[in-house]
Amino acid sequence: MAEVVRNVLVAALCCSGIVFFLGGTVGLLRCPDLYARLHPSTKCDTLGACSVILALIILSGFSMVVLKLLAVTFFLMLSSAVCGHAIGRSAFKSGVVPWHKPGVEPLPPMEVEEP
Amino acid sequence: MKRLLVLVALAVIGVTLLYGIGKMPPMDSRASPDKTHVVPRYLGHGEEEAGAKNIITGVILNYRGYDTMGEVSVIFSALCAVIAILDREKKGRSRSGVDASRVRTSLIVTTVVRFSLPVVMLFAVYTMLHGEPSPGGGFQGGAIVGASIILFTIVFGLAVSTKRIPPGARVPMESVNMLGFLSMGFIGLAFGVQFLTYILPGLGVAAAETVRKLMLDVIELGIGIGGGIIFISIVFSMIREDRYELQQDVP
Repeated sequence: MAEVVRNVLVAALCCSGIVFFLGGTVGLLRCPDLYARLHPSTKCDTLGACSVILALIILSGFSMVVLKLLAVTFFLMLSSAVCGHAIGRSAFKSGVVPWHKPGVEPLPPMEVEEP
Repeated sequence: MKRLLVLVALAVIGVTLLYGIGKMPPMDSRASPDKTHVVPRYLGHGEEEAGAKNIITGVILNYRGYDTMGEVSVIFSALCAVIAILDREKKGRSRSGVDASRVRTSLIVTTVVRFSLPVVMLFAVYTMLHGEPSPGGGFQGGAIVGASIILFTIVFGLAVSTKRIPPGARVPMESVNMLGFLSMGFIGLAFGVQFLTYILPGLGVAAAETVRKLMLDVIELGIGIGGGIIFISIVFSMIREDRYELQQDVP
């Protein structure tokens, strides 16, 4: 019984990881501008890779390797999110205008106060 | 006429190479020399002959020690070429993109970089020292060291980076990889055996084993630290814009 539960969990996590990777790839290819592409592509590393690693942890059982995998997950979460933040922020501050539908008035640029 | 000569030369070389390829054993053939001689020797006797549990380290540092020494000197001569063409970064003349940028570095990025750099450094040292019993080694560890300092420079700017790693400490360390390798090689000569021999005669079995491990570690550390410093120096000498000013708000 425990075996079945474990396998189902592993399969579900793997599948969700694949879904996030697929979405990230499609989004990277299809989205119109930098900001829109940044959104799906950062999900690849955070949600996609992390759920696959979580599945591996559950599959392998507890050992020293699990600690290493957890460290990998932690730094993957951290670096991917911060990369997305840095790219988006520097693009916005250097004046990359977000995409808007043709014929629709774009939103006026936001005035952001420097802290 | 010249074109004809080039054509003839290319044809001769091409036909020779094609003939050679035709004589080679087919891919995956069990009769090819690397399968009959090299692999069994490395896998069967590597551990006691080369003295490293990780067979790749044994091959790199022992069976192909001269080749690795050549690679190390290639990295060093790459640095020499870059400095010969670009010159070193000079105080008063250079500053990095982050110093020149109008966008201030975000607090999130600086915090995360400051938090993760020590961990990255720790991992680099682990990779260098663990090259002997597990995957890793000096070249990989050196790349990690170099990448982490380059990340620090991108985020905080060349001024802060130069303050943390002063050129007086950095420049002498650039040759550490060559010097480490050569000195370990000459230890063998001093004991009356061949260059790059790690098993020294005249010591007891246990002592010779310890000395061999220590020599391998010195070489790995030398390759790692020297390689990392060389990467840093190459990137620093490529950073070049007009003025050098300390930012006010850097930590």
